[in-house]
Amino acid sequence: MNTIALVGNPNSGKTTLFNALTGSNQRVGNWPGVTVEKKEGSIKFKDKQYTIIDLPGAYSLGSFSEDEVVARDFILKGNPDVVINVVDATNIERNLYLTIQLLEMGAKVVVALNMIDEAKAKKIEIDINTLSQKLGVPIVPTIASKRKGIEELVSKAIELMEKDVDYKAHISYGESIDKEIENIKKVLSSFDLDYPADWIAVKVLEGDPYVLSKLEKDYNLSKSTLLKDLAEKEEDLELEVIDKRYEYINNITREAVKLPDEHIETLSDKIDKVITHKFLALPIFGLIMFIVFQLTFAIGEDFLGGYIGGLIEILGSGIENILISFNAPDWLISFFTEGIVGGIGTVLEFVPLIVVLYMLMGILEDSGYMARAAYIMDNIMRALGLHGKSFISMIIGFGCNVPGVMSTRTLENKKDRMISILINPFMSCGARIQIYLVFISAFFPDSGGLVLFSLYFLGILVALIMAKIFSKTLFKGESSYFIMELPPYRMPTIRNVLRNMWDNVSEFLVRAGTVIFFVVSILWVLAMLPVGVEAYSQESILGKIGTLIAPIFVPAGYGTWQAAVGLFSGIAAKEAVVAILGMVYAGVEEGSALVNAIQSAFTPLSAVSFMVMTLLYTPCAATLGAIKKETGSLKWTAFSALYSFAIAWLVSVLVYQVGSAIGLG
Amino acid sequence: MLKEVLKVIKDSKYISKANIAKELNTTEDVIEQVFSELNRMGYIKEDKTINCNMKCDGCSFSSLCNKVPINTIIITEKGKKLLGKSL
Repeated sequence: MNTIALVGNPNSGKTTLFNALTGSNQRVGNWPGVTVEKKEGSIKFKDKQYTIIDLPGAYSLGSFSEDEVVARDFILKGNPDVVINVVDATNIERNLYLTIQLLEMGAKVVVALNMIDEAKAKKIEIDINTLSQKLGVPIVPTIASKRKGIEELVSKAIELMEKDVDYKAHISYGESIDKEIENIKKVLSSFDLDYPADWIAVKVLEGDPYVLSKLEKDYNLSKSTLLKDLAEKEEDLELEVIDKRYEYINNITREAVKLPDEHIETLSDKIDKVITHKFLALPIFGLIMFIVFQLTFAIGEDFLGGYIGGLIEILGSGIENILISFNAPDWLISFFTEGIVGGIGTVLEFVPLIVVLYMLMGILEDSGYMARAAYIMDNIMRALGLHGKSFISMIIGFGCNVPGVMSTRTLENKKDRMISILINPFMSCGARIQIYLVFISAFFPDSGGLVLFSLYFLGILVALIMAKIFSKTLFKGESSYFIMELPPYRMPTIRNVLRNMWDNVSEFLVRAGTVIFFVVSILWVLAMLPVGVEAYSQESILGKIGTLIAPIFVPAGYGTWQAAVGLFSGIAAKEAVVAILGMVYAGVEEGSALVNAIQSAFTPLSAVSFMVMTLLYTPCAATLGAIKKETGSLKWTAFSALYSFAIAWLVSVLVYQVGSAIGLG
Repeated sequence: MLKEVLKVIKDSKYISKANIAKELNTTEDVIEQVFSELNRMGYIKEDKTINCNMKCDGCSFSSLCNKVPINTIIITEKGKKLLGKSL
């Protein structure tokens, strides 16, 4: 029985055509020795039965996947009497690469120009006669999904099957390569080969590992013995051959295919002219981020704020009533109401703001703007002699410093990696937002967006300054150069934006329920001990730890044991800071109590100084773990913890002292 | 085509596959394929942001990874060498 093979790119409609040809006459198995699926069927045409083999979808016929090897082996060993090459008419130039490779093999090919209706809808004009003439093969337009053109396709395939013709493509790979192909063919002519000699010659030039290994094994022929004139250019021969194929295809399509006029400036181009403008880019970036933070407060606090606080209050009272009804001891009631509900509840009150912030950031990401932001910053980073990609890890660090630090793995040289790791914790992660929000609610309720924007800006500024210092001192050397791909702008989808928001908020909630629970529980115990002292007092173990550390922060304007304990807990997890401040300042049951307590304990200037400290000081335990893992060094991990604390302290003291000196205190 | 794309990459401030396709009078799909060939042959190195060897399943930070869809391309030494020959 004669055999027809179907070959095509993935998504060219090959399987649809196979189904249209064979209907229910199909068998599915595996190709011998591999896990690639083999689909076989049969058709009856003019009282004669034919076998149809659906070969695996492939973009080319190299030896880089099992699919490719299976397809080309089947064709080369002469199994099919004719090959139907399914070509997606909407993507003709890319699909023809496979066609050319089939013709190089000397296969009898009929092209099924599939999805021709879609090509017409996309205003792609294809001159089928010219295309057929240039390729030297019959072409039948088809719409496999509607069974159109199938009859003619089969008829052409059978007609070709019965002809004794040579349909080999006559591609010139350039004078020197053509000459080398002839040289190789001469050597091969004395052997009885499994495959056509000219195809093997091209594959030798391409450095096809499968063919080279077969020549070595079966005929004791190595690449070096086969290459003569071009032995010195061996490294780039594969590229030259592929390049010539594309050139050949391009020459054909230039005459036979007319794409819709896309040479007009796209909307993305127009937007990018402004967004990535040499002088406007940075102010626009700043303005966009400022608007994001303003909207976060306008929507998150003004519209949504307060609801969660009310719910937590109800929850706290409910738990307290239940525990009282079970005659629970006072310490257990205190643990749940003040420790757990109070601590975690204080953190959860800021969820609406975080929801809005991540939703807005999600819109920026999904629209393609964040890639532009990275590009804009890349230019600045390069101007500072740094690796632009560091900014990508910095952007990731805005969500959480742990993946931010991990993302530095993609940086090739050690200098770039080390600098990126060390500056990443200065990026204000999501966990730190709630600390700012407490202080903003207490002192700057009308300019929250501006304060938040300034803190993020300060984080970036300190990171850039430190990066520059590191590149001039600890890590000297050249940065590697890279080019960024800017995807086209697109309308953000609700689904993507909500998913992005949920990913971040759920992560926040999970950590609130695990890490904060753990840290708060330990610190609650420390706040209750030794037995007999007043809970959350300076006499408790927690109070004593705070008292010990507090003097360090006197020059920064918040040298109280409570503030010190809050910062201390932030080294375990930044989310714990607000919970602990709530416990030690107010024994809180609701957020407003903490805000009131903060207003009594801080001044606006010391509040700013404290926020600066939390922005810049020692990374949390999880980030330090990531730094240890990525640097493989305890020394650099300790350095990161200590130098960031020193920088934070310096900047915080500077803010407070300068502010006091000019009368802001 | 491959050498032309490599040269365009070298001369670009940033990469837009749509713009390269327009410049070289071809389609974005072909440019996509050319990038993949150049990457496979080691003339460029395409980088899709985070490439840690950990499995995402079970990693508590997986949802926060690869949030920014930024691809970057480095022209390798082999690529630079070829550009040097072609120029």
